[in-house]
Amino acid sequence: MSSVIEIKNVTKEFKVLNRREGLKGSIQDLFSRDYKIVRAVDNISMQVQQGEIVGYLGPNGAGKSTTIKMMTGVLEPTSGEILVSGNVPYENRTRNAQQIGVVFGQRSQLWWALPLIESYRLLKEIYCIPDADYTHMLELYRSLVDLEPLLHKPVRQMSLGQRTLSDILAAFLHNPKIVFLDEPTIGLDVSMKAKIRTLIQALNQEKHTTVILTTHDMGDVDALCRRVVIIDKGKMLYDNDMEHLKGFFGSYRTLKLRTDGDHAAQAAAMQKMLPELKVSADTEWISVLVDESRAHVIDVLAQLQKQYTIRDMQLQEISTEEIIKKIYEEGVQ
Amino acid sequence: MNLKRYVTLTRAGIMESLQFRLSAFIMVLGNLLYLIVTFFLWKSIYAAAGTETVSGMTFNDTLIYLVLATALFGFMDMYIVWEIGRSIQSGQIVLELLRPMQYRKYLFWAYSGSFVTQFFFTFLPTFLIVAAVTHGAIRFGVNLLFFVISVVLAVSINYSIDFLVGTICLYTESIWGINIMKQVIVLLLSGATIPLAFFPEPLHSVALCLPFQSIYNAPLTLLLDGEPQMQNVLQILGTQAVWVVVMGLASMAFWKVSIRKITVNGG
Amino acid sequence: MKHTLGFYLRLYGMILAQDLKSKMSYRADFIISTVGMIATNVAGFVSFWILFRNFPSIGGWGYYEILFLYGFSLVSLTPVQCLFDNNWSLRQYVYSGDFIKYCFRPVNLFFYYQSEVFDIKGLGQLAFGIAMIVYAWGKLGLAVTVLAVVKLLVFLLTASLVMIALQNAAAATCFWIQNSFYVLDFVTRFKDYARYPVTIFSPVFRFVFTFLMPIAFIAYYPSLVILRPDEVPLLSWLSPVIGVVFFFLSYRFWMYGAMKYSGTGS
Repeated sequence: MSSVIEIKNVTKEFKVLNRREGLKGSIQDLFSRDYKIVRAVDNISMQVQQGEIVGYLGPNGAGKSTTIKMMTGVLEPTSGEILVSGNVPYENRTRNAQQIGVVFGQRSQLWWALPLIESYRLLKEIYCIPDADYTHMLELYRSLVDLEPLLHKPVRQMSLGQRTLSDILAAFLHNPKIVFLDEPTIGLDVSMKAKIRTLIQALNQEKHTTVILTTHDMGDVDALCRRVVIIDKGKMLYDNDMEHLKGFFGSYRTLKLRTDGDHAAQAAAMQKMLPELKVSADTEWISVLVDESRAHVIDVLAQLQKQYTIRDMQLQEISTEEIIKKIYEEGVQ
Repeated sequence: MNLKRYVTLTRAGIMESLQFRLSAFIMVLGNLLYLIVTFFLWKSIYAAAGTETVSGMTFNDTLIYLVLATALFGFMDMYIVWEIGRSIQSGQIVLELLRPMQYRKYLFWAYSGSFVTQFFFTFLPTFLIVAAVTHGAIRFGVNLLFFVISVVLAVSINYSIDFLVGTICLYTESIWGINIMKQVIVLLLSGATIPLAFFPEPLHSVALCLPFQSIYNAPLTLLLDGEPQMQNVLQILGTQAVWVVVMGLASMAFWKVSIRKITVNGG
Repeated sequence: MKHTLGFYLRLYGMILAQDLKSKMSYRADFIISTVGMIATNVAGFVSFWILFRNFPSIGGWGYYEILFLYGFSLVSLTPVQCLFDNNWSLRQYVYSGDFIKYCFRPVNLFFYYQSEVFDIKGLGQLAFGIAMIVYAWGKLGLAVTVLAVVKLLVFLLTASLVMIALQNAAAATCFWIQNSFYVLDFVTRFKDYARYPVTIFSPVFRFVFTFLMPIAFIAYYPSLVILRPDEVPLLSWLSPVIGVVFFFLSYRFWMYGAMKYSGTGS
């Protein structure tokens, strides 16, 4: 099977202006400027097969958006090669655009003042979608989500969730080979997140569309991605399947507690009580990192409750940042 | 009143506008270009008239008057209407109202920094150039002092008008339309496009009764008058002072009424 | 994939129709803006009228000839107002990073960006301009022939490209510098200078306004073809070519900036 995206040793550098501080600095900036080179993406290589959903993870400023911009043909790599379904994206932006769909976070690409259906009609023209395909696609959408109430609503009157949904549907409308989704669930509530995930899954299955998904939400990754690529500071840290990552980390969750009295002292006491777990404290919370392959959160909570008065608690999935921290500390593969 | 915080705002404004070295350069260039066009345009207009003086204005008077009116406009027009309009539309206005400072004052002092840079970067060079070009048509005497006083009053009147018009944005989304209408009326009736002296009656008398002439016509008349008569000077400055008070009160009152309406009805 | 001109025209038509429909939903804004636009034109005309009450002519040009020039400039400045108004928002899109959203479509980026806004207010200016041209034409006693009208239309159309080109180039500076508003504002002020005969300037500035900041091609040179048909200078006949060339160059500059920029925002 041939790959639909091929990235070979890609690097991207930017020139950034160093601004000086203070009134004196502003005056100095008038006369001379001082630049530095920032390497946003550093020698990345990967291949993606048709129909895959790849989770592309990393903290803010890791170089995710830059990589996506290079794949969509908006940015030219400083060095290295990119092929997206046979095209060099930067050299042939419009031809590449016909093959891809993009949803960029909270920036709607739909016409703000128009009812959704009119935006879709314009997209039909722009992408030269044949009538039959267009009708078929709308039928498919109707079977997946409750589309009718949205179609006649101007985009500017939609809630964030409705807008994201509409944008995702718009990105799949011309049946592209690849869809890039940048933070599609950011700022949405739990039920909307679930809806969006189901939709992406369904469209991927139905149309065999490749999906590149960047997110901070491990829930998205868990629900959608078999394969995960992690980058940080422009460098690739991990590229393998999700199961492998889970196997390595176990399934961690963080139990956060608020108790009466001094957190630091109590955390130290708890650590003694639970030697196999990691306990830390700050002014707000006491955090207990629970490896669910060894202990159940419920049992830990029950055990602690016998000794301490727990005022408040939260349960947190492990975040991308924590995974990256762990990869740095312990390494993978 | 704590002077230090006002100075801090002014200083921040200066720093902000200095970051844009190009904009200052372009503004000077723009004024220079305007000066050139005005110079040649009026030179050929006066050539066709065949007389030295038309409606009491010589060629030099007209040139100084128009070029400095534009320079004053560039330095006074701080896009206050846009600022207020955007702040209202984005809902930012609610936060502005929470500041421990009256919004009207805050905005003025926040913009005062750019007054200072604009004055040095655009008005002063233009003034010096036009003084040199017209060699000696501007008298460097007590009239300069009157001019400066008059400009200070004009800044206040102009700010009040801007604030008043900006307040209208609480009622409509049409910032562009509101702003362009204000600009057109102010520029025409203040004498910034054609000196008021050329206006035919009764347009001339009407314009003199409106506050707009106090913004450009008043300071420029004082500047061009080489041998000022005390009575005349006092009359012009007095009229301006009256407009400072009237427009100041009007803009404050209108703002108060409008804000109450917003807080009652919800934004 | 190469799109034909027909494809772009149809697409523009569709977007325009939708845009007008949605504009109607902001009726108050539409009315106030239109009144503002009419006020601008009335004020411009009043200044012009006051000027000519005090002075008989400008640089050997009479009232009706200057009125013709004025009308010509208003009409040739209409397309830039109506069709390319989105240039004014470019700075904000670039600054906020939202510009990126225009880059993902399989159509020409410049076209796609400009097609988003049609500024209907400009039509008021068009009406003023046409009225002035017709009135001055009659008063000057110029012959009304098919050839003259065709000439007028061709020269108006190509003259309009000059200001479009200047504005495109000015707007595109925002891809490099932050405060491009001043550049755009600077260039927009040229509009007001276009309505005077370039002969009033000294030779140096005649050169500047002809070749460096080509505002003489917005009204002066092209309207000579109608106003003074017996003594048309070569530059007048060249003005259509100059319009097209300038437009093309500004388009390339705009696109170059857009492609160069698109990455740097978040």
